[in-house]
Amino acid sequence: MTLAIEMQNLHKRFGDLHAVQGVSLTVQAGEILSLLGPNGAGKSTIISMLSGLLQPTEGDALVMGHSIRREPEAAKACLGVVPQDIALYPDLSARENLLFWGKMYGLRGAALKKRVDEVLEIIGLVDRQKGRVDKFSGGMKRRVNIAAALLHKPQVVIMDEPTVGIDPQSRRHILDNVKELNRQGMTVLYTTHYMEEAAELSDHIAIMDHGRVIAYGTHDELIRLVGEQTRIDLTLNVDAGRVLTAWQQVEGVSRASAQDGLVTVLVDDSNRVLPRLFEAATAAGARITGVDIREPNLEAVFLHLTGRALRD
Amino acid sequence: MKLIDIALKDMLRSFRSLFAVGMMIVAPLLITGLIYFAFGGIRSEQPDIATIHVGLVNADVPSADVPSANVPFNLGQMLVDVFTDAGVADLMTARVYPDVATARAALERQEIDVAVLIPTGLSAAVLSGEPSPNTAVVILHDPALSLAPQVVGSMVTSLLDGVAGGRIAIQVIQERHAARGLALAPAQISTLIGQYQTWYTDFLHTLFYNPTEAALRLVAPGVDETAVPMSQILGATMAGQMIFFAFYTAAYSMTSILREQEEGTLARLFTTPTDRTIILGGKFLAVFLTVILQGAALMLFARLAFGIRWGRADSVLLALVAQVIAAAGLGVLLIALVKNSRQAGPVLGGGLTALGMLGGLFTVGIQGMPAFFDVAALFTPHGWVLKGWRLALAAQPPDALLLPFFIAVAMGAVMFVLGAVLFRRRFA
Repeated sequence: MTLAIEMQNLHKRFGDLHAVQGVSLTVQAGEILSLLGPNGAGKSTIISMLSGLLQPTEGDALVMGHSIRREPEAAKACLGVVPQDIALYPDLSARENLLFWGKMYGLRGAALKKRVDEVLEIIGLVDRQKGRVDKFSGGMKRRVNIAAALLHKPQVVIMDEPTVGIDPQSRRHILDNVKELNRQGMTVLYTTHYMEEAAELSDHIAIMDHGRVIAYGTHDELIRLVGEQTRIDLTLNVDAGRVLTAWQQVEGVSRASAQDGLVTVLVDDSNRVLPRLFEAATAAGARITGVDIREPNLEAVFLHLTGRALRD
Repeated sequence: MKLIDIALKDMLRSFRSLFAVGMMIVAPLLITGLIYFAFGGIRSEQPDIATIHVGLVNADVPSADVPSANVPFNLGQMLVDVFTDAGVADLMTARVYPDVATARAALERQEIDVAVLIPTGLSAAVLSGEPSPNTAVVILHDPALSLAPQVVGSMVTSLLDGVAGGRIAIQVIQERHAARGLALAPAQISTLIGQYQTWYTDFLHTLFYNPTEAALRLVAPGVDETAVPMSQILGATMAGQMIFFAFYTAAYSMTSILREQEEGTLARLFTTPTDRTIILGGKFLAVFLTVILQGAALMLFARLAFGIRWGRADSVLLALVAQVIAAAGLGVLLIALVKNSRQAGPVLGGGLTALGMLGGLFTVGIQGMPAFFDVAALFTPHGWVLKGWRLALAAQPPDALLLPFFIAVAMGAVMFVLGAVLFRRRFA
């Protein structure tokens, strides 16, 4: 298969901070690859390097065969970049924004107008196209933000956390758009810290932490890394420290950690282990006030690999 | 093409902002308007005269009897030229009729207020110094009018007196030469006539446009002879306001790059296949075009609202170009030195106001300012741009504006280059 993106030992340093540490990844043409990781993992820095905003300190990347170092303009022409924050002109209408961004990608005249009409149709804002963007809801802005990256029918779309801070309905709309774009043949590099999105959209997922890719594979391949373990989140009426050590000793518990009053425990069989956890808590003079059992997922994978919850 | 797209987008955003338009156009007009009305308006020094409609019948034929002159003397045509001169277009309209009967008919139909009948042989009679009733210029007028015939009569008399004065001057020169046994060569006489005509034309022009500098000064009793006319104060005040807000507009337009940086659109622009030089170039072009449009609009509105005469078109163009380049240069440099749009506020408000004060923009209508301010103005682009406008307002020709023009442009160019280099470094 053709490689849409090939990252070759990418490094980025900001003074003493080594934000990206030797990332080598490939994205096949026509697939969706999600970069999953907490804030500060290096996802956006990789996106910035690929889209030409930052120069790699070391290494290179090819976008549709064009080096981001040697042929940046050619590489950019293949890309549609959806930035993390809304990057639109608030005092222009949706249509005026799209016309302008289309021109920046080299579209002109009737072809530009036709493509703007098409894209407005895709994002469902034909009726609101003449409205000023600053009068739009957060979800509508997000949709225009995405549309601006699709005008030139890019071969590769990079989306940097496009669903941050929006309502569920708009989020659903955006995720459906991403799937539709991919179905039309666009390659998508998607960054998120929502594991559900990564699970739903991705052909492959790269989990990042502290500037490194710590795991890569399909959703099922990654789940297998944690051995099908179940995650149990428990809340207590006392400080978690009183029972944490006791729970770590319980048979069947592979890992237990506490954060903000919530104790997360990874177990092989929740039916068998859960009563033991109650017993240990009672013995320590604590009472369990809440239990949430979750089947194995990407968050469990992250917890398993880093000892920290993904949301952190 | 992308460069123009970026510039047009920036301009659209600027002109869509009520605040920006207020600062670009409304504020300078408002301030000048306040001064205008505070002094009772320019009408206080100029009576409200209705436009005078003049009809001309020119039956004169050029005289070849000019003593040894090379070209025929055509006084009739000179009279016609006086009434059709652009300088009097605000006061009167002039129309040439083929004969006396047609002009009389027009007068009776009240299409014209005054008819000036130029007789055959006027040129020859004036040159000979022997006028007769048959060679007198006749002025017919509507009997209900009094002021219009006086104005027209005064203009005719003024020209005829000037010509008569020239003839006498030539005669005196010839007689003085003859007394010494010398004779003037034909070419010398032609030169003398030419010199006299040039002097007299300039004199009338200066008297009209800039009476304080004319050799003849009319002063009403009890009026301060050294006082500058209100029209000149108003013109200079408007120029001062226009310059101040042009510099403000340039810097404000340039803040679009800071706002884009904060809105994230600048980073997004950098992700498109558009060279960063083009993006910066588009921003700079927007600044230039905005200041040009602002200047043109202000001049037009000031002309319509306050009747300000900006001067000769070529001189005005020079002054405007100097203003645009100086304002754009300083705007680019100032904004290159600040980090964000919040910092830009004090720079625009404080820095430009201080420079404007030093440049004399706010004291332009005040006489007797300390000499320090004149010296300080030389160190600001505002001061040089103002000098250019003062000269343009005084109807000076372009060559009189060259020094302030070149200095203002040079200052602007240097600041622009410095600012552009800083921006290039920042966004490299």
